[in-house]
Amino acid sequence: MTDNDGLYRRDVLKAGGAAAALGLGGGEFLQGLAERGDETAASKRDPGIESYVGQNDVIQTVCSPNCRGKCPIDVHVRDGQVKKVEPHPPEDEQYKRACVLGLSHTQRVYDPTRLKYPMKRTDWSPDEPNPDGRGPDAEFERVSWDEALDLVADKMQSLKADFGPESVLFHVGFGNYGQSGQAFSRLASLFGSTQPASTIDTNVGRGFNRVTGTGFYLPSTNESEDWENANTIIVWGSDIFSSQFQMDASKVLDAVENGAKLVVVDPVYTTTASKADLWLPVKPGKDVHLALAMMHTVFEDGTYDEQFLRKRTTGPALVRKDTGTLLKSSTVFEDGSDDKVVAVEQGSNTPVELEPETDGPYALFGEYTVDGIECETALTRLRDHVADYAPSKVAEQTGVDAENIRTAVRWLATRGPGGIAPSYALGRYKHGHIFGQTYAMLMGLTGDYGQHGNIHAHHSGGATLSTGGWSTPEDADPGPSVRFSDYPDAMIDGDPHKIRAAYSIESNMMGNQFPDRQRFREAIKSLEMYVVADMHHTDTVQHADIILPVPHWFEQEDIVSSWGSHPHISYRHKVQEPMWEARDDYYAIRGLAERLGFGDYFPETKRELLRELASRDDAIDFETLSEQGTQKKQNIPIVKFTDAFPTDTGRIKMYDDDAPSEEGVTFDLPRPLEDRTADDYEKADEYPLMFMQKHSRFRIHSQYEMLNWVREVNPEPQLDIHPSDAKARGIEDGQYVRVYNDRGEMIVKAKYNEAFQPGLVNTDQGWWSRDYLKGHHNDLTHNEVSEIGQTMSFYDVRVAVEPAPDDLDTEKYETDNPRGTGAETSRAGGD
Amino acid sequence: MTNYGLVIDQERCIGCQACAVSCKQENNVPMGQFWNRVLTEGGDKIDTPSGGYPEDGGSGSLDMQYQPTACQHCENAPCVKVCPVNATYTRDDGIVEIDYDKCIGCRYCMAACPYNARVFNWDEPDHMPEEGTGDVAARPQGVVEKCTFCSHRVDEGLDPACVVNCPADARIFGDLDDEGSTVSKYINEYETDQLLEDRGTNPKTHYISGEMSPGRPQTSDKMESELDDVSPWSDGSEDVPAEASESDSSGSGGSHHSIEGDAAPHVPAVGSGGDD
Ligand code: SF4
Ligand code: SF4
Ligand code: SF4
Repeated sequence: MTDNDGLYRRDVLKAGGAAAALGLGGGEFLQGLAERGDETAASKRDPGIESYVGQNDVIQTVCSPNCRGKCPIDVHVRDGQVKKVEPHPPEDEQYKRACVLGLSHTQRVYDPTRLKYPMKRTDWSPDEPNPDGRGPDAEFERVSWDEALDLVADKMQSLKADFGPESVLFHVGFGNYGQSGQAFSRLASLFGSTQPASTIDTNVGRGFNRVTGTGFYLPSTNESEDWENANTIIVWGSDIFSSQFQMDASKVLDAVENGAKLVVVDPVYTTTASKADLWLPVKPGKDVHLALAMMHTVFEDGTYDEQFLRKRTTGPALVRKDTGTLLKSSTVFEDGSDDKVVAVEQGSNTPVELEPETDGPYALFGEYTVDGIECETALTRLRDHVADYAPSKVAEQTGVDAENIRTAVRWLATRGPGGIAPSYALGRYKHGHIFGQTYAMLMGLTGDYGQHGNIHAHHSGGATLSTGGWSTPEDADPGPSVRFSDYPDAMIDGDPHKIRAAYSIESNMMGNQFPDRQRFREAIKSLEMYVVADMHHTDTVQHADIILPVPHWFEQEDIVSSWGSHPHISYRHKVQEPMWEARDDYYAIRGLAERLGFGDYFPETKRELLRELASRDDAIDFETLSEQGTQKKQNIPIVKFTDAFPTDTGRIKMYDDDAPSEEGVTFDLPRPLEDRTADDYEKADEYPLMFMQKHSRFRIHSQYEMLNWVREVNPEPQLDIHPSDAKARGIEDGQYVRVYNDRGEMIVKAKYNEAFQPGLVNTDQGWWSRDYLKGHHNDLTHNEVSEIGQTMSFYDVRVAVEPAPDDLDTEKYETDNPRGTGAETSRAGGD
Repeated sequence: MTNYGLVIDQERCIGCQACAVSCKQENNVPMGQFWNRVLTEGGDKIDTPSGGYPEDGGSGSLDMQYQPTACQHCENAPCVKVCPVNATYTRDDGIVEIDYDKCIGCRYCMAACPYNARVFNWDEPDHMPEEGTGDVAARPQGVVEKCTFCSHRVDEGLDPACVVNCPADARIFGDLDDEGSTVSKYINEYETDQLLEDRGTNPKTHYISGEMSPGRPQTSDKMESELDDVSPWSDGSEDVPAEASESDSSGSGGSHHSIEGDAAPHVPAVGSGGDD
């Protein structure tokens, strides 16, 4: 392994003449050990195996980064210390879960990066912010909680008086799924501050929404307990067994064991691909072409679901040839409506209004003249459109064998219920929304909505606590919202208005996770005050003026939503009191509310807050939840899309006559549009490699970066690169390389990896600045946003790669440090 | 007689490392050491395949599997034979274990073990928190240690930690001498391998590969033999007695064990009332 020689030897593999390899590997290892000296013969003795089973206090809590686990966990405490974490079987025990990260919380609770005390940047004051003092060299001094909150409240008040409340931004990320965010938004609404429009990193759901009336990042899908009923699962662009679904892996595996076909569409041979019956190695950016070819096959084979198309889609609806719009009921019938569309009955050619969820003998294909207006059915248009995308025709362009394209979609169309589980990754390309539109229609053709075994996204919907608008009180006058991607324009240029101060919770975005990091750094530098609350001394914290230390989850009480995950709400019991002077976000929010004159709007204690919020959700009872630890929300449907679709017609749109367009392309029908993956992209020669930042099993965004145990397996950022791409650049396996483009650079170790398509390189995301020898993966990404997709396109990035300069200081990864991290102790740690 | 064994279904294993870390946590394994490593069977490095990326758009020759590897608890254990002081021995239930009191750190067993399952505490073991994790005491500098099949849990009727925490239901523990146990049934029903069979060690760890098994769903931390009425061929959840989940509170109120040192802060237990 590049990762840790000796520690992680693989010389006992049973495959490939392992016995021979073994003598060698084992021998080397022993020799290595012997060289380390022999002075350590046993001198001290403990008794044999001394067991503490049964001696721990066990407290139930919840792990809840922005992953798809939201795992209820049991924490074992002995002698005032956290000793271990185990999954806690929730009310519905089949959702028992936890991953390698949640199981390593002992390493996080006690990590030196934890923030201990409120701090202030030494050279910052409300009137003299000294923005240049921010950054890696900033120094901090300890202040009391009262001093910190006074400074923040006073500055907010004076900005409000001088420039209006919208000059202050209340930024909340996705770092936790408890209820402090509710209180944070409530205070933001009352104060009138700018609030974020959460448009982060994926836009597939937006395209899906155009077709079905639902979907944002991704659409919802049947809860994972239902996945074992699928007969075909097409996982598209997602390594669900490493990220998103690993804690529910058994449910997909059970489906496979029952005979389901697992198809993986991915430019990378991932862990998930390694389990697949069929892997389609698509080229980046060619997913829409591929899905259109699948539609082509369905039409050619005649395997579309006629009954579904008639009952639940606008497939039979007539499209006017003169205007390209759908023929409206009001045009044909005197009492017809503008929202309703018209089909003709097969045989009689009689026009009829299409009602939602209504079957009828509607003609699916053909040209018809109604009241003198020449029309054809929507499905005819779609069929003619995809006629250009025969599998044999797109095979070369997409990089996928034509017969394999056909096989994959034939399984979906003919083996009973199944689905497509697309990823966030597809939406990390600028125009990823088009894929959303395309596969939503493809599944309309195959009739895969509303039944057991249907799948529409790579993770389920889960349960969220419904708090009924508590975060926006009726008498509040909330300020404007600004998209994440527009922060720099607002902060630096005052567009659409000037943001002069920001208060950030549950987020390491500004300093680490947002693309075009240097631009966001500049944005931070333009602020007069930057307040950051966090558990750890992140890059973002290092850029703060005021640091508010948040306790580890084990030191908080909360109610945790399981968005995107499982259908329970979970109670976070406090395992221990906060260490040092860390305080729950709610303490700071309420303290600020009091100082800003809104104290009465906030219950005095966190528990009262939780009681109040829980009382607003009819499916939840506070006492039951608190006692049981979890409560399954009985009103969460296991099977989704069983009712009329929330579109004008109540049906899936197989043709969109009201479609938006961008860059000259209209999306009445799915049409491919690419940005940097386009074959003729202008800088493709200068920056020949596409660069993605995969989500690995070793971090959740930038959380858990510090875990000692995990870093023993995954010690440092690497560049996954196909050996042919590496060799062409004179790069050896394990050599440090410089990855660059016109925005920035990073230096990481090259990892030869046959799993990666030539032309595509990857560094797993979530690493902090301190982990790189130089630069950062988000110095390479850009912040250009499609107006329709509206989200950041992290993977739509090109880079060049070359060997790193010779004078590189690689010491931090060469020292004999079992913890595997080159990280210094945090400066703002306090003591 | 009881003869414990482990079945690992490599068709189910997703290489997630949960078992590797669960083992470290439960067994207080020092920094820099693993008793249980999730090896990649494929390319030379972790999480890389063998074979070549397909050039023709087909599925190509890439191949990758995971092989979690710890002490194999060999029936015919070479480590037991070579230990000059009988510190390594086989328990009556088949578990190969080390008496750390007797171990003199000669490391003959490490040379004898064909699976590299054993690690040696060259230095003073390092833990975080310093007083250690999990439910067994730390081993001192100068002794060899390795997977114990979590004998301290097995003795209490609990499944090994790595088995309980596998999200793929890929690890199945049980009594090889009981024909009705899931491990025995799977060894009969599926094609299973033992590592380095030619060495004659007869490991009690068996690997399924080729055809996927249903695994063994784990909704409780109890060993199969402790549960009433469990059919390994069913979905599991209905068959697991409802009380099983209560085992999580078995530790409450137990007596406290004192450990030395004060590296990580000890914090007061939770007071009553909500947050301030
Ligand atoms: S990180 Fe996510 S999946 Fe892992 S244990 Fe925590 S909540 Fe579960
Ligand atoms: S049985 Fe116990 S000691 Fe052995 S690998 Fe599993 S967790 Fe580790
Ligand atoms: S926990 Fe299970 S799935 Fe994960 S690596 Fe271990 S055996 Fe494989």
